[in-house]
Amino acid sequence: MEFKPTIVAFLCNWCSYTGADLAGTSRMKYKPNIRVIRVMCSGRVDPTFVYKSFREGADGVLICGCHPGDCHYQEGNYKCLRRFKLMKKYITQMGIEPERLHLEWISASEGKQFAELVDSMTERIKELGPSQVKQVAETLAI
Amino acid sequence: MEEPRIGVYICWCGTNIAKMVDVEQVTEQVSKLPHVVVSKNYKYMCSDPGQELIACDIQEHKLNRIVVAACSPRIHELTFRRALEKAGLNAYLFEMANIREQDSWVHDNREEATRKAIELVAASISRVKYHEPLDKRSVTINPATLVIGGGVAGMSAALEVANAGREVYLVEKSDRLGGLVNHLDLTYPYLYDAGSMLETLLRRTLNHPHIKVFCDTTVEKVDGFIGNFTTTILTENQQPVTLTFGNIIVSTGLKPFDASRVGEYGYGRLPDVLTSVEFEDMLRSGQILTRSGKPPQNIAIIHCVGSRNTEFHEYCSRTCCQVALKFANQIRTLLPDSNIFDLYADMRAFGKGCEELYTETSRKNITFMMFDQQKEMPQIIRSIDPADPHMLIFFREKISGLGLEVPADLIILMVGMEAHEDVKDVAHAVGISVCGNQFFIEKHPKLDPVATTTAGVYIVGNCQGPKGIPDAISQAKAAAARVLATINQGSVFVEVTTAQVNEAICCGCQTCILVCPYSAIHFDQNKRVSVVNEVLCKGCGTCGSTCPTGAIRSKHFTDQQILSQIAGLMEMTLKIN
Repeated sequence: MEFKPTIVAFLCNWCSYTGADLAGTSRMKYKPNIRVIRVMCSGRVDPTFVYKSFREGADGVLICGCHPGDCHYQEGNYKCLRRFKLMKKYITQMGIEPERLHLEWISASEGKQFAELVDSMTERIKELGPSQVKQVAETLAI
Repeated sequence: MEEPRIGVYICWCGTNIAKMVDVEQVTEQVSKLPHVVVSKNYKYMCSDPGQELIACDIQEHKLNRIVVAACSPRIHELTFRRALEKAGLNAYLFEMANIREQDSWVHDNREEATRKAIELVAASISRVKYHEPLDKRSVTINPATLVIGGGVAGMSAALEVANAGREVYLVEKSDRLGGLVNHLDLTYPYLYDAGSMLETLLRRTLNHPHIKVFCDTTVEKVDGFIGNFTTTILTENQQPVTLTFGNIIVSTGLKPFDASRVGEYGYGRLPDVLTSVEFEDMLRSGQILTRSGKPPQNIAIIHCVGSRNTEFHEYCSRTCCQVALKFANQIRTLLPDSNIFDLYADMRAFGKGCEELYTETSRKNITFMMFDQQKEMPQIIRSIDPADPHMLIFFREKISGLGLEVPADLIILMVGMEAHEDVKDVAHAVGISVCGNQFFIEKHPKLDPVATTTAGVYIVGNCQGPKGIPDAISQAKAAAARVLATINQGSVFVEVTTAQVNEAICCGCQTCILVCPYSAIHFDQNKRVSVVNEVLCKGCGTCGSTCPTGAIRSKHFTDQQILSQIAGLMEMTLKIN
């Protein structure tokens, strides 16, 4: 059976979620593997959200925020970037391929970039194959 | 927690959703999820009967949580929150699943789109269980208004507010009011004198008892929120002045495109190549002369300089075609025997009275010729013969495909408009966003075109997108009406999705204080815990994701709500797999 990855995406309300909406308003087409969860700011993306997504079976996690300097809350995206680097390290230590977690800046006008990002990320995750996290965690009962 | 009784409503949005998503199947699948009491679909959930449907079910089935799967929450979240309130339910006991902009409109496989919709709705159902009622917070409105930018739009907005007896602070970056209109000779399409119109506006603005004008002044940073903004400006003589106001109207305008960027036209190199702005100044002097002081025999006008060209700006600047027609008329009057060549990429003489101006102008012995700037830009070269005509324009006429040469002693480049360099500084100062073209983004392009996503901040005139004087002034007056309505109400309700500290588990590490961009958290030395000032908090939630003990809750975006959303989503995903 063909592998259909699930990508959980956390999008900030002001830039990235609006950018994703713009892709829709412009009727751009992209791969249907992404599931968006809206947060007010990429700075709200608690590492727990990312780990929980992997734990529950997500094959990839995407975080999108405003471009540096454009954050609606001044600097939440910088906080997100710092956490992202730690999260990458952490998931690697946990045995999760770091490529499964991705951060990208998407502005409110970048509908096209968002559509392209979803397609390229879906391809990357397809190449990596299904995530084993949920299965392993259940075997180990953690 | 009371037992959740959830009502789920799937919108067809006519065929917008129903064409790509099997709404019946979604309704059926999610009806089996825990706590779902009612699951229905309807043609237009946002319509009155759609909202009525929710209200009736709330009464009949004692629903206490509502999920609507429809368009983006950025479009109709507020509509449905209001519907809940009308039915006696707290507005925050509601969640929206976006199955239009982020599903039916972006996919072309009905099976996959339906599956995605089911998962997104399941996630929302799982989230809404943990939603809590939140109280609205009312803030009083400071009746003063700040207007940033003193062009015709800014002055019109200021006058409209001030005429209602309210104080206005009008801040202008340059040393004088008037903006781009200061350069205009006549306005299109009726060829009225721009100077006298501007003079009237200036006189009224400067003499108005309720308008305080600050020239040579910029607004660096604005603190606060709707109703209660404050800023400190440096006046001309470097005196700091603190202003407090309840609303902001941004009217910072645009600037002319820098023509020297188009190498083919030789602007800055060839002395008799002028921009439309410089030509306006020449017209105001009453004489059309070449650099050598002679009246030109051959005059060429080139359209779309910097506009409608992917190399510079893709957008149309909307005013240049009409201004070019106005120029042709004025030249014909001042130099009746001259040859006038109008080289256009497209003639966009839209708007009241403008197509008529084009028809009128085309009867005045003016040679209109079309070029294709996507294929081949016209080239301007200096003629080898030092005597007149001293320039030649080489271009390919679009319809005939012929390569033509046009002689010219004076060339006018119709420059478009573009954003000021400091547009992002202004955006940051007042907390609004710019689009890819560096214009400020309106809250809704059709339903709310002068508001922004930041409550209490409005955008008018060119800074929202290029436009002529009537449109700019219409926007200014529209924003003024919005501001006055808020002032009249005396108070407004604001978002209450702020952060909150659970003192019982706060360990006093103060990390939240370090990350808060608004200095909204302080440390209570007696209790040894962090305390959030809810008036200053804007609800970004960064503190919540930093807190090591989980003591901080971002209201309406709590850990529990989001984690449950993830769990609900993945559970449904695995079930379908």
